[in-house]
Amino acid sequence: MLSQTVVKRLKEIVGEKNVVTDKVGLLTYGYDGTLLSGEALGVVSPQTTEQVVEIVKLMNEHNIKLVPRGAGTNESGGTIPSEESVVISFTKMTKIHEIDTENFVAVVEPGVINFDLQVELEKKKFYFPPDPSSFKASTIGGNVGECSGGPKCFKYGVTRDYILGLEVVLPNGKVIQTGGRNFQSEPGYDLTRIIVGAEGTLGLVTKVFVRIIPIPRAKKTMLAIYDKVEDASQTVADIVAAGIIPTTLELMDNLLINTTEDFTHAGIPRDAGAVLIIEVDGYPEDMDGQVKTIGDIAKTIAKEFKVAQSAVEVDQIWTSRRSAFGSVARVRPSYGVNDITVPRSNFPKAIGGVLKVAKDFDVTIGVVAHAGDGNLHPLILFDQRNKEETETVHAAEQALCMMALDLEGTISGEHGIGLVKKKYLDKEFTPAAMEAFRKIKRSFDPTNRFNPGKVIDL
Amino acid sequence: MGVLADVYEMLNTCNKCGGCHTACKTYKLTGSEEMSTRGRIQLIKAVADGKLEPNQEYEDAIMSCLLCGECAVTCPNGVHGNELVMAARRDLKLRKGIKPFAKSFALNTLASPKRLGMGFSLFKGVGKSVLNKIDGLDYFRGIDIRNFPTAKKPFLEQVPEKITVQHPKHKVGFYVGCFLNYSLDQTAHSVVKVLTKNDCEVIIPKDQVCCGLPQYAYGDFETAKRNARITIDTFLDKYSDAEVVLTACASCAAMLRHDYLTLFADEPSYLSKVKLFSEKVVEFSEYMAKIGVDQSKLHNSSPLTITYHDPCHMVRGLKVTKQPRQLLQMIPRVEYKEMFEANRCCGAAGLIQAFYHEVSTDITVQKTQNIKDTNADLVATSCPACMLRLQGGINKAGQKQKVMHVADVIANAYED
Ligand SMILES: Cc1cc2nc3c(=O)[nH]c(=O)nc-3n(C[C@H](O)[C@H](O)[C@H](O)COP(=O)(O)OP(=O)(O)OC[C@H]3O[C@@H](n4cnc5c(N)ncnc54)[C@H](O)[C@@H]3O)c2cc1C
Ligand code: SF4
Ligand code: SF4
Repeated sequence: MLSQTVVKRLKEIVGEKNVVTDKVGLLTYGYDGTLLSGEALGVVSPQTTEQVVEIVKLMNEHNIKLVPRGAGTNESGGTIPSEESVVISFTKMTKIHEIDTENFVAVVEPGVINFDLQVELEKKKFYFPPDPSSFKASTIGGNVGECSGGPKCFKYGVTRDYILGLEVVLPNGKVIQTGGRNFQSEPGYDLTRIIVGAEGTLGLVTKVFVRIIPIPRAKKTMLAIYDKVEDASQTVADIVAAGIIPTTLELMDNLLINTTEDFTHAGIPRDAGAVLIIEVDGYPEDMDGQVKTIGDIAKTIAKEFKVAQSAVEVDQIWTSRRSAFGSVARVRPSYGVNDITVPRSNFPKAIGGVLKVAKDFDVTIGVVAHAGDGNLHPLILFDQRNKEETETVHAAEQALCMMALDLEGTISGEHGIGLVKKKYLDKEFTPAAMEAFRKIKRSFDPTNRFNPGKVIDL
Repeated sequence: MGVLADVYEMLNTCNKCGGCHTACKTYKLTGSEEMSTRGRIQLIKAVADGKLEPNQEYEDAIMSCLLCGECAVTCPNGVHGNELVMAARRDLKLRKGIKPFAKSFALNTLASPKRLGMGFSLFKGVGKSVLNKIDGLDYFRGIDIRNFPTAKKPFLEQVPEKITVQHPKHKVGFYVGCFLNYSLDQTAHSVVKVLTKNDCEVIIPKDQVCCGLPQYAYGDFETAKRNARITIDTFLDKYSDAEVVLTACASCAAMLRHDYLTLFADEPSYLSKVKLFSEKVVEFSEYMAKIGVDQSKLHNSSPLTITYHDPCHMVRGLKVTKQPRQLLQMIPRVEYKEMFEANRCCGAAGLIQAFYHEVSTDITVQKTQNIKDTNADLVATSCPACMLRLQGGINKAGQKQKVMHVADVIANAYED
């Protein structure tokens, strides 16, 4: 429970209706995209950087911890109030300060929803390439927190590559600005790149300078359909080996094809073992050549290869892909999403590894992957109400992580570590590296006040 | 647990992906998770699990839902947030009756024709002039009461029970609905005009009552059923020669066609009759497009730009979107302009506009802006509640557009 004094002060800082302490409100800020939940002491929603500073100072006076939260769609438990703490929600900081198409920069508040930014940018024929499948819900602050990726990241890179600078409120209540509008790197240590992906453990992001780029003149979307998921993974390796970089190279297996078809009716054959969604963009005159090269490679294995003919068709295909995680509760109510990533050339081996884990542990796994990046999301489907099954799932998840590490990969490509993947971190990094992590955390946040218990234990 | 037990699997199917955030206007405009579909579902689940005792905050989360149904079409898992909210409202009603405000003021009034007439007349008679005197009360919680139209006399008292035509090709039963009866009687006359111009004989039963939607939406299934039974029996037994039951109110239409079936799901003996009735229900534009409007009789001398607003119950309830647009474009010299987010809620949402007015006002402001951006002269729609809400919002924003029912627009295109 927060003391009356603290609640009163919080209300003075952000206004009555931006402080939540009732049970109903707290319940709704206690979950995220994972199966975990917790209950915060309170929720406070600031609207300005000054308010954030005041909140941090107040929390410091009273020794209370803070959990930053955007839309709460993360898949790693990053916003679960797992320790006694107050949730600081950024969903009411939604201003787009500026869109500067001359300098390719937009300046936004952290609560701006990725999609809403894209809509505004599109009016000026620009876009922000990081496009997590959750982009209609997730915030730029959350994207920064997790260093999110998305389908377009194969060609264009992840969130980190599009953040030019940040305004950050540090655990001591001081505001710093890292980077800025310039494309060249700033002198000194690259603080921007440390904060991006830090999952809210080092500072509270209150303003983001994002790099925006013009929408490509043309694009083509292709579907390659396979009997077996292994076959699809071979095309991925072949395309990469041929030195071609499509904009996107996404894979869905039979299970996901079916759950998404139930929702979108995009017309992807339900009996296919897997589908690759391949998109290229650039100048109109380059399109046919690119499509032909990719088609030639895919057709050696694929049972069908086709190019989407209309904007509606393209839309449907992408709605399918983006709703993949969302749609699996049609099969079983709970899912564990994994985020393993391997070097591209090892992608077929990783697919083999996933199939083996499914067989060894006798669990249902659906695979969706940002295949071009070697980033796989095997979704293990189960029912959380069944304890025994839940334990098997945890064991299978561990096996998946180990398999990825054996293939020189990583346990997390884009979803972050949070609470869920914390226990595997020291399997990936040496004790010396782990100690370096802790030192970084301590130097920013010596009393462990920001998002305590996430990423690493001190 | 009862009612919630019936929907438990659906509650459990929500995997908190947040996909519905973008659909839910009450979330988008407040940024408050408890005002989101996902939040509402998780709260209902907590109640079902016995982890939460329903309290005032819970009721607010449940009652502030617009029931717009947008979440249901957005959820990749096929979870229907609006249906879960309905179950929660029913559960609340069974636990403790309905909130006092809803019970006394709105629901009882709507359920009884007599009191309803009085309610509407408050806006025209003494009540309105008193309200007018009080400064700043032009907009009672965002509702434009000064311009709230009221019929001098209920429509049902203005017309005979049967309106014949020279060469009748169809026999149409007209379910008028409260709004057209008490408030927008002009629109009811337009409906009759368009029908008769197209060779339809119109049967207008005098003893029709409120369809029961307002009560149903707040979990009072008993009253809703009572009214539903009257409606069904009236049209099927007394006026069985009517080929169809036509209404020009999208909300009534959705209630008559779909929700009656749900309402009587537990009464198999009556359900077959409900099914017969449900199959007879048609919405105005839907029906006119089906029987065809004689375009050669439509006239219009000066250019007119029209945009169309899809009422929630029309687009997601009845899934009718093309027909009203087609009808409007049949009129000569009409330029049709689509607005941004035409199919999103206008903010009226039944009683929400009165009881959760902050959020509904924000929703209307967005809608009004989208209308302005089209540069249209006229906004057409298919639901009287939307008409009033939109006209209020437009007036408040100082804009010029006129809001009309599709039936009014067509009726105006006849020369006499
Ligand atoms: C259906 C679905 C699909 C998804 N697809 C993808 C995908 O394709 N790619 C991908 O990378 N991820 C994906 N995700 C995961 C998730 O959506 C992303 O991680 C997203 O960026 C989280 O954004 P959010 O606003 O929900 O942030 P939250 O979940 O609220 O927070 C994420 C992290 O950022 C921190 N944080 C939030 N705001 C701030 C701030 N202002 N300052 C400091 N720290 C902050 C939080 O503490 C937390 O650690 C998906 C999730 C779902 C449910
Ligand atoms: S209702 Fe559907 S879209 Fe919304 S959070 Fe639940 S599963 Fe996701
Ligand atoms: S019906 Fe509309 S207001 Fe209600 S939860 Fe769904 S989207 Fe939100």
